[in-house]
Amino acid sequence: MTKVKIVQKSKINFFLELSILIAIIATLIPIIWIVILAFLPNKSIINSSFDFSFWLGNFRLLLDPSQNFVRQIFNSLTITFGTMILTLAIGAGSGYSLSKLKPPKWATTPVFILASFLPIVPPITLVPGIYATLTNLHLLGSITGLILINTVFNLPFAILMIKSYFDQIPEELREAALVDGAPERKIFFSVLLPLAKPGFGAVGIYVAIMAWNEFLMGLIMTTGGKAAPLTVGIASLVQDYEITFGQMSAAGFVAAIPIIVLTAVASRQIVSGLTAGAVKS
Amino acid sequence: MKGNQVMKDAEVTSRSRGSNSLSGRRATSIVALLPFLVFLAVFAVYPLYELFRLSFMETEVLDGEFYSAFNGLANFRKIPNDPLAINAIKVTLLFTTLCVILTLVAGTAGAILVNSSRIFKKVARNIFVWPAVVAPVVVSVMWLLILDPTVGLINKIMHSLGHEPQIWLNSKTGAFISVVVVDVWHWTPIVFLFIYAGLNGINLEILEAGRVDGASESQIVRRIILPILMPTIAVIAILRTIMSIKAFDEMYLLTKGGPQNATSLISLHIRKIFVEVLDFGYASALSLCIVIALGLIVGIAYSLRRKNRSRK
Repeated sequence: MTKVKIVQKSKINFFLELSILIAIIATLIPIIWIVILAFLPNKSIINSSFDFSFWLGNFRLLLDPSQNFVRQIFNSLTITFGTMILTLAIGAGSGYSLSKLKPPKWATTPVFILASFLPIVPPITLVPGIYATLTNLHLLGSITGLILINTVFNLPFAILMIKSYFDQIPEELREAALVDGAPERKIFFSVLLPLAKPGFGAVGIYVAIMAWNEFLMGLIMTTGGKAAPLTVGIASLVQDYEITFGQMSAAGFVAAIPIIVLTAVASRQIVSGLTAGAVKS
Repeated sequence: MKGNQVMKDAEVTSRSRGSNSLSGRRATSIVALLPFLVFLAVFAVYPLYELFRLSFMETEVLDGEFYSAFNGLANFRKIPNDPLAINAIKVTLLFTTLCVILTLVAGTAGAILVNSSRIFKKVARNIFVWPAVVAPVVVSVMWLLILDPTVGLINKIMHSLGHEPQIWLNSKTGAFISVVVVDVWHWTPIVFLFIYAGLNGINLEILEAGRVDGASESQIVRRIILPILMPTIAVIAILRTIMSIKAFDEMYLLTKGGPQNATSLISLHIRKIFVEVLDFGYASALSLCIVIALGLIVGIAYSLRRKNRSRK
């Protein structure tokens, strides 16, 4: 009886591990394939059989000053860091306020309603309004405009996340500092903010990934112009009349592999951001 | 201004911690919320108001200037007479149903398997997250490189096995299946993450008790684990529904809604009317209907969940 059970158990485990292995391979194939193609000359890519020969030319062509690629990377980096810093700054104040300062209901109700409503609205439906706003602010086709849009889409999640981090810090800590005569601002900057730091890391990484990956607003608000982010640049490579698969792969490689490596290394922070981000947005 | 308030607040606090300090804190709390409120007003409330306004207007663009005139419900009456809109709604519903079910099944199964794995637990937990952090645009590129008739991985494999190459994205069914597969690959990680977190929150003693009572592993999964995970699964199902209805980037690059509108999701159709047809009134009316439908879905789901909770 015991023997049968053990045999059965090890057999089940074998299928279990095998199916996980298959799932891992299925997850990795598209990623590995784009990495391979990024380092192949077009001649081998177009060949209908497998032909592997290492080549760095795709990257060399992309980095050529006549291409927009370098500028687009720079744009994307600016948008990503700008969005991250602005979101964290505004999120810190608002999250702290919601968690510890007990703002009046007339101020919090619209915040909560909009913060839960905005994430369910398809971004395409807000395009005409945002387009008009950016035109009025003279920010159409500018990096600043894209930073502002990315910030607004990430703020609802960021604020609720940061609020929940501040919620975990006991109220007594703040009260003790107040009793000692510390001003509200000092308590925020030197007591509570440092305690919530790990939380800010998780929110910051999540927001950065979202901003780096954003496409629709970049496409419509820059129409592929000087301020276009990397994602829009990649899209224009795909839609070129003559598709250069090698360069397309290399560009995809540059946009995706750093993020994947970051995920592999800092998986704990990213996982906590993704799960909370998904629920709260 | 904020500094003054804080200082005043501190002075009051040091003198007497009474109602005065509370009102100071109140002012600070509003000041701290203000930037967010301004952002929402400018970039969320105003665009939503604009959407609402435009949907009752006939708008024309002449020499870069917009001319609008009120035309009542005419834009909304256009929707049932637009076969492309009806098609887009059907495609979106089918796409959403398939993607939600497939990612839920794959993600839940994956989480349960990985959780009881001995060899791959750590590796799989890390790798299974990767697709979710890749930009949707790059996801389309990745799958284009797999599905393309000449450079695509599938056709290269078929060629080396001596089969004829297939043009996957050119047939209606082929393109639709491809788009669903891409979505499942991209977003199963989100389901996996949630369910995996939920699994780790289950009290091991309950599972042990089940085993002691002689339940088989599959019985434990069906009778104990899945019922405990149900609330998590419900939340993630709503989330995935919203994500699928909002889907845009991947299809925009992979199929452009084609062939013959077989993958024309509602977001793609709205973009076309906004950007190519330039019929702002009609596009807004259609958008407004989608926003309201999504609001209703989430509202109903939320109230059902509250009802469920209060019953417990």
